[in-house]
Amino acid sequence: MSEERKTLWQRLYSPIVLSLAIRNLKLNKFRTILSMIGIVIGVFAICAMGMIGAGFTEEMNSMISDTADTLTISPIGEKVIDGTTTTGFSAKDLRDIESAVKSVTNGYDMIPMYSSSKYVYIGKETTMTTLSGMDSEAINTLVTLTEGTLPRGSTNVIVGETFAEDNDLRIGSRITMLSSTGQEVTCRVVGIMESTGMMNFGFSTDSAVVGSIECYTAIVGDNHGLYDKVIVRAYDPTELTAIDNAIEKKMNGKEDKDSDDTVYILNSYEIMEIFDEIMSMSTIFTTIISGISLLVAAVAITNVMLMSVKERTREVGILRSIGTFRSQILQMFLYEAGMIGLIGSIIGTVLALMAAPLFLYGMIGSIEAMLSVGVLMYVPIGILIGLFVCLISGLYPAWKAANLNPVEAMSTD
Amino acid sequence: MDSIPVVELHDVSKIYPMPAGDVHALNHVNFSIHVGEFVAIMGPSGSGKSTLMNIIGCLDVPTSGIVKINGMSTSDMKDDELTIHRRDNIGFIFQKYNLISLLTAYENVEYPLILKYGRHDTTTRTADLLRMVGLTDAQMQHTPYELSGGQQQRVSIARALANDPTFLLCDEPTGNLDSKMSTQIMELLKDLHSKGRTIVMVTHNPATAEYADRIVIIRDGVIVNE
Repeated sequence: MSEERKTLWQRLYSPIVLSLAIRNLKLNKFRTILSMIGIVIGVFAICAMGMIGAGFTEEMNSMISDTADTLTISPIGEKVIDGTTTTGFSAKDLRDIESAVKSVTNGYDMIPMYSSSKYVYIGKETTMTTLSGMDSEAINTLVTLTEGTLPRGSTNVIVGETFAEDNDLRIGSRITMLSSTGQEVTCRVVGIMESTGMMNFGFSTDSAVVGSIECYTAIVGDNHGLYDKVIVRAYDPTELTAIDNAIEKKMNGKEDKDSDDTVYILNSYEIMEIFDEIMSMSTIFTTIISGISLLVAAVAITNVMLMSVKERTREVGILRSIGTFRSQILQMFLYEAGMIGLIGSIIGTVLALMAAPLFLYGMIGSIEAMLSVGVLMYVPIGILIGLFVCLISGLYPAWKAANLNPVEAMSTD
Repeated sequence: MDSIPVVELHDVSKIYPMPAGDVHALNHVNFSIHVGEFVAIMGPSGSGKSTLMNIIGCLDVPTSGIVKINGMSTSDMKDDELTIHRRDNIGFIFQKYNLISLLTAYENVEYPLILKYGRHDTTTRTADLLRMVGLTDAQMQHTPYELSGGQQQRVSIARALANDPTFLLCDEPTGNLDSKMSTQIMELLKDLHSKGRTIVMVTHNPATAEYADRIVIIRDGVIVNE
């Protein structure tokens, strides 16, 4: 028979049935719009939350990833030198750290530095900052200057962009610090360091003051030649964890961190990964919470479709009696649910595309992440989820309609 | 007659199981309808004539016995096969017209054609049928609510003829019409019969049954007189 010769597409797509479905939706415009609003809200909530979460993660990752190549190694174990208890890295410690790094890779920069909190006097203002001292080559490796030159000698420093802005400093400005002997040491600002941003787990330049080793020792002292911090930068960030483990093993005698450690290592790559994981989990969580509104919409659609089947029982009976197949009745109701889902989902997604940039701009001051694949994939995801939820919601009413007995259905008023 | 009957019933029974006991709507019914006949099935309310009509119309299946439409037994047919039989071989004309309210008169008549051929009617068949039953071109674009009872029944007749069925199955075709309109509709059916159409009509109205050339009387599920 002709029905048996029909292709799958012909079985799935029936223009006359689609036309009936569209007319039914138009006939009950108000009810259709109300059902659609539920889907619009549900898809909007899922899409917007997903886009904001993905955009935020994307933006944060791009900020972190700039410094996700850095290990910051700090000393924990105490040393007694000339009868004084202190902490810091000796020349031997540095050799040990470097040999551990070299056991993993040759592509690295290792920057030992002095670092100490100091009060800085600028005019009548006093502020606290971190003064770091390192050699010129290390400064050149670690920081980028927006203007000025690298500091040389004992009275030249460079300052972070944020520090300069907050304290109205520019090239040639002078800042004063008290030395360990209580003498005022006035330094000239010779350069401004480019900001590394708030999401920085390496060396943060934002509020730092950096000088040469000569400058640092003139103000703070030399701490018996012990360095306060070592920064290791891997050219390939994926090697960072292996380097971290090698240093842990060499310096702490084991790879695991615990309270007996002599060094503490901050691994920015791991932090980025943990942050990424936390953000992904929270995005999934908020998206699922948003999905509750879609669930409510789904229940409403099932209810509306069941009402529709009840109202149109007689019509279904007529259609069946004059030769409409069960599958076509099923299609008719699924087309209706699908159209509500498709149009509602498209509207919800478009609204999310408009709202997400506003939220992102408010949160991180940038909408660049909106163009990323991670964010834009929520467009098809939103539409497909909305469509899928509606089709599932319409399945039972459609099945119920398709299985009506034509004789009984026609006798319904 | 020598030809294969359009409708053949052999020992057909229909039993509805009820809590108070089985109801035998049809009891071992035997009869046949041949090409070109105009048969009226008459009987009082509850006699089983609607059950008989539903079985002849492939809307229901018997509990026992054999029903053949165009020589093919419908007893073991699946729902899709029965649906194809209804679409291709039977033209239904109902008492309440049963037009699809969402569609215009034209679309109502075109609907069975689209169901069968999967595309819109590119010929003049739909319009020709509607003109034949007496509708104007303007009325073809009206929805059922914009037409009178008589006009709706004419559309219903045109729809029944759309797929050139083997026979027309009419269920009280004039039941909702006044006498003048009833006469017009019956004249139309008589005209179709005179052109060779096979018509099976269920009615309790003797005046309507007069148009048939054979009357079958059913009572308590049994054919009592022909």
